[in-house]
Amino acid sequence: MDVAETIAHHILDHDFGVMVGTIHLPFTVHTVTMFCISVALFVAAYLMTLKGKSVFARLMNTLGEEYVAFMRDGIVVPGMGEEGKQFLSYFCTLFLFILFSNLAGLIPDVKTITSNISVTGALAICSGVLIVYCGIKFHGVAGFIKTFVPGGTPWWLVPLIFPLEVISLIIRVCVLAIRLFANMLSGHMVLLSLLLIVFIIGQMSKIAGTGAAIPAMGLEIFMTFLELLVAFLQAYVFTLLTSIYAGLVIHSH
Amino acid sequence: MDQLLNPNFGVFALTIVNFLLLVWLLHKFAWKGIIGALERREKQIADDKALAAQARADSEKMRAELDSKLQHIAQEATQKMQEAVAVGNAQKEQLLAETKQQAERLLAQAKEQIEAEKNQALKDVRAQVVQTALLAASKITQQQLNEKSAAQTVDEVLRDLQKRG
Repeated sequence: MDVAETIAHHILDHDFGVMVGTIHLPFTVHTVTMFCISVALFVAAYLMTLKGKSVFARLMNTLGEEYVAFMRDGIVVPGMGEEGKQFLSYFCTLFLFILFSNLAGLIPDVKTITSNISVTGALAICSGVLIVYCGIKFHGVAGFIKTFVPGGTPWWLVPLIFPLEVISLIIRVCVLAIRLFANMLSGHMVLLSLLLIVFIIGQMSKIAGTGAAIPAMGLEIFMTFLELLVAFLQAYVFTLLTSIYAGLVIHSH
Repeated sequence: MDQLLNPNFGVFALTIVNFLLLVWLLHKFAWKGIIGALERREKQIADDKALAAQARADSEKMRAELDSKLQHIAQEATQKMQEAVAVGNAQKEQLLAETKQQAERLLAQAKEQIEAEKNQALKDVRAQVVQTALLAASKITQQQLNEKSAAQTVDEVLRDLQKRG
């Protein structure tokens, strides 16, 4: 197994190969991890609604309210305006889901599901559907289609502008998926590469390998903290961009 | 490594179902309640702020009214004081004038009385002198008649006067 294969083995999804008749069910390491993350997220969110006067309940209530207020005042309303408040639940879930997924990768033996293009693509498709839904809800089907042609465009430019704007929307959604996927994948690849440096040099000379371990571990710790920052940052960026794209559709002229 | 960019449509579909289910569950069991509580609290805070602003406006208005009243009262007090001082001065002037007038009147009365008593005294003296003179004249006349000496006559007259004294 070469270095590339070792890295790929750690990062790639592994299918358990569960079959029901002739149907191949998508039970993979990433889907099981995703299910566990969803359960953890549901429990965490449910704890925020606990009633009672205990310190823990009050702490969780405050945490929940602060989180929702942050999402509303920091992401949804600035991006979508007051109309975005009705989609607040979606954004609250999206941010926490991506964050938990990103952070799970920092736990030993747990996979980063957001380093799977299928997962990030699915999340981006959900956001894309939300963007289209917002356009149709606030402008109607015809009105939404009209938003693809900016006001004041000469009629002879419409056949050129319209497909460009449609492609632009599709690209925005695709970029959401690729950005999250690439950031999380690259971070883990760097972490694995730094670890593998120690073993590669160790195979050549045990003394050199031991000497390389010290700077490699230093870099590893630094990268882990960087990954922690990236986990929050990418969750924030994905959520914020979704709200901005939806806002652009809602407030298009 | 090529598998990294090959999407697994099963995972893709399961992620969509899982995520949308999670959105629905969290909306129903978590976010709805939290958003409701947050909005209630914000509404209460907004109401309290509005009440506080109203109370502040009321107190400002009341303070302005009180200031105005105090200013009015101060003006009135100053005015009353000025009036009282003016009245006092007038009364003082009147009293002084009356006192002076009374003193002058008393002085005039005293003078008149003194004059009258002086006149009376002069009148009495004059009458006394006339009487004495008459008495002396009658004595002299009598002496001439009784041929008595003038010295005796004078002595008699003086004695009479001392008796009357």
